[in-house]
Amino acid sequence: MNDNFDDLIELSDFYILSQKFEEAIKVLKKAEKINKVVPKLYYNLGIAYEALSEKVQARDSFRLALKIDPNFKSAQEHLDKLIEE
Amino acid sequence: MKQFVVIGLGRFGSSVARALGEKNFEVLAIDRDEGRVKEIEGIVSQAVVMDATDEKALRELGIADFETAIVSMAETIEDSIMITLALKELGLKQVIVKANNELHSKILRKVGADRIVFPEREMAEKLAESLASPKIFDIIEVSKTHGIIEMVAPKKLANKTLGDLKLRIKYNVSVIAIKRKVPYSKPNGTTDFKEEVIIGPGGSDELIPGDVLILLGNYDNLEKVKKL
Repeated sequence: MNDNFDDLIELSDFYILSQKFEEAIKVLKKAEKINKVVPKLYYNLGIAYEALSEKVQARDSFRLALKIDPNFKSAQEHLDKLIEE
Repeated sequence: MKQFVVIGLGRFGSSVARALGEKNFEVLAIDRDEGRVKEIEGIVSQAVVMDATDEKALRELGIADFETAIVSMAETIEDSIMITLALKELGLKQVIVKANNELHSKILRKVGADRIVFPEREMAEKLAESLASPKIFDIIEVSKTHGIIEMVAPKKLANKTLGDLKLRIKYNVSVIAIKRKVPYSKPNGTTDFKEEVIIGPGGSDELIPGDVLILLGNYDNLEKVKKL
């Protein structure tokens, strides 16, 4: 089956909102194989990792989101919070 | 309202004074250095440039009326000892002193310090603990044998109710609270989460991956739960 990038991101939103963070990470990893330059992909990864208290991966993901979009405010806020913890 | 006097406005002293001031306690901050005193003015109730080793000056300032003093002059060991002694002689109920080393701590005890703190050491121990066990966020000692730990729920426990897990029966460990990240959708289309705390969760509460548990128990039993 051909995965559509946007569908995978949407599915990750659904999984995150359903508190199925591990499933969200799985689909986001799939999405990453299709497109590596979308900040929301890494933001969602950061959110899912942070929800699982995987702080190192969460920090790395938010950094990647900010590398693509340095003005991504929510990613910056999460990164700042994780660094100060 | 509780009243505090903070003597020595270096990094530690000024942080304590600032934190107490921001909590709206009455705080008298003292240091010999005018610059340090100026920096804290407006945050604490009163900031005074003074040599706190001068017992007469301390008395005139009405220090005896304060309940608690925090002495943060570890760099000048002799001064911190003299000030501690003077404060106890003035009748302060609680004198908390920052110590530099074991010998300093020993002398402070002898002159009547009620509590001795080693902020760098305590912070270092916490940091080491968090590096050794990244899933353990905090440990509060309740007694020598019992403590409260804040830890990420082991994966094995996810999607099970507390009733199923029987942590109290199997390990004699109580779940005091669960911290949970509750996701929501923001108007701009991104997802985010807010933290919810479930105090005194019941048997029907189900754990979800990523939940943080606040557990109370004997250290040996808490260790067993950590290893699940």
